[in-house]
Amino acid sequence: MIQFIKHLVRFVIFASAQALVFNQLEIDYGIQFMIYPLFIFLLPYDLNIFLSLLISFLFGLTIDSISNTYGLHASSAVLIAYIRPHIFKLFEPRDSYDPGIELSLQTMEFRWVISVFSLLLLIHHFWFFLLEIFKFNELLFVFQKTILSLPFSIVICILIQTIFLRKTKMK
Amino acid sequence: MRKLFAFFRRFQVFLLFIGLQSLALYIYFSFMSFPKTQVLTSTNIVTGKILLVKNDVTKLFNLSNSNLKLQRENIKLRQKNPISFIQITRNTVKIDDTLFHQQYEYIPATVINSTFDKRNNYFTLNVGSLQGIERNMGVFSDAGVVGVVHFVSKHFAIVKSVLTADINIDVMIEGTDAFGLLKWDGTHARFGQISGISNDLRIKKWRKVVTRGGSGLFPKGIPVGKVYNISSIEGQPLWDVTILFSEDYRKIQRVYVIKNFLKTEQEKIESLIPEDIIE
Repeated sequence: MIQFIKHLVRFVIFASAQALVFNQLEIDYGIQFMIYPLFIFLLPYDLNIFLSLLISFLFGLTIDSISNTYGLHASSAVLIAYIRPHIFKLFEPRDSYDPGIELSLQTMEFRWVISVFSLLLLIHHFWFFLLEIFKFNELLFVFQKTILSLPFSIVICILIQTIFLRKTKMK
Repeated sequence: MRKLFAFFRRFQVFLLFIGLQSLALYIYFSFMSFPKTQVLTSTNIVTGKILLVKNDVTKLFNLSNSNLKLQRENIKLRQKNPISFIQITRNTVKIDDTLFHQQYEYIPATVINSTFDKRNNYFTLNVGSLQGIERNMGVFSDAGVVGVVHFVSKHFAIVKSVLTADINIDVMIEGTDAFGLLKWDGTHARFGQISGISNDLRIKKWRKVVTRGGSGLFPKGIPVGKVYNISSIEGQPLWDVTILFSEDYRKIQRVYVIKNFLKTEQEKIESLIPEDIIE
C-alpha cells in the first residue's frame, strides 16, 4: 500500500514537472529535457509487465494532454516500459537482483545505473524525435536532437536521483 | 482453436504492447492530419485550467516587457488619433460614412502555453468559442503574424503557429510584389522560409515581408519578417528565401485573433471558380 501511494505521488510529481517545468525549458538546437523516463525506470522491477505497460501509457498520455503533443510521449513511454525488463535482464549482475529492492542509484552501482539508464534514454529519445519529426530526409536532425538532448536528460535524472531519493534508501 | 489461445498466451505481453503503441500512434497521427482528439488536448477543461494557473504564475516574469510592448503600440495608435493631427482646413462637411465597412475585428488573447523547439509547434490561447473564436481565424501579435486557429473549445483555442512545417500563409515581399507561401524548416525559431518565388525576380536583403491577405485570414500588410538570405535552388527556377521573423515566438504573450466579416462572402464567390479538370 505504501509502495502504491509512493508511486502514485511520483506519478503526479513527475508528470507535472515534465509538462509544466521541463517542457517549458527550451534551448535552441533542439535540446529537450526529459525526466519522465526516470519514473518508468523506478517502477518496481518485478512489477507485472501488463501493469507497467498500462501505467506508462496513462503516464505518457497525462503529459501529452498538458503539453499538446497528442500521443507522442505515450508512445515513447510504452516503448521503454516494454523494453525495460529486457534491458534489466541484459545487465543483470551475477547473483541477480535482490527481491523487492528499488533499482536506483542508492541500491545499485553507479556504473550499472549509468549504463542501463542511458541505454533506455537513448532508445526513448531516438523513438521520440523520430516520431516527432517523421521525415526521412530530416533523419540527420533526428540524430542531432537525440545526441544533444541525451547528456542533459541523463545529468538531470542522475541529479534528481541523488537529491530526492535519499530517504528510500535501505529498508 | 487451442493453438490460437496458446498463441495469444505466449505473446500476450507483446500484443498488449502493440495494442497500446498503436493506440498512441493513432492518436498522434490522427491529430497531425485532422483534429479529432479534442479530449486529449489542452483545450480540454482540466488541462486548460492547469495551464491557466501556470500562466498566472509565469506571466508576471514578462510583465515589464509586455507593458513596454503595449505602450509602444499605444503610441502608434495615438499618433493616428485625430487629436494628434492639426486641422488644416476648417470647412469640414459631416459625412455619414458608408464608404468604409468594417471588415476585420480583433479579439485580444493571451498565449497560455507555447513551444518553439518541436517540429510542429502549437500555442494555446485563453479564448474560445464563447468569445467568438472559430476555426481558421488568423492570429497576430503587435510585432507580426503568429498563426491560424486550429481548433476551439468553449474556453480555449489552439493555434497552429508559424513554426509548423506547412503553415502556408501567403506572404509577399514589399517593393517587389513577389509572393509565396510561408514555411518553416524546424531548425531555428527566428528563421523561416518562403517557397515559390521565381528566380527571375530581383530580391534585396532586408526587404520587409508582409502578409498578402489573399486567403481572407489576415488583412493585407501585417508584418512577418525581413528577407535574411537568398540562395538559388538547384534544378528549379526558384529562390530559396530565408526570412528573419519580426516576432520572437520564444517570448510571445499577447496576441490578437482576427475576425473577418467578409470571409464567408469571399469563400462563396471563390467556390464559383471552376475546378481544374484532372486528366
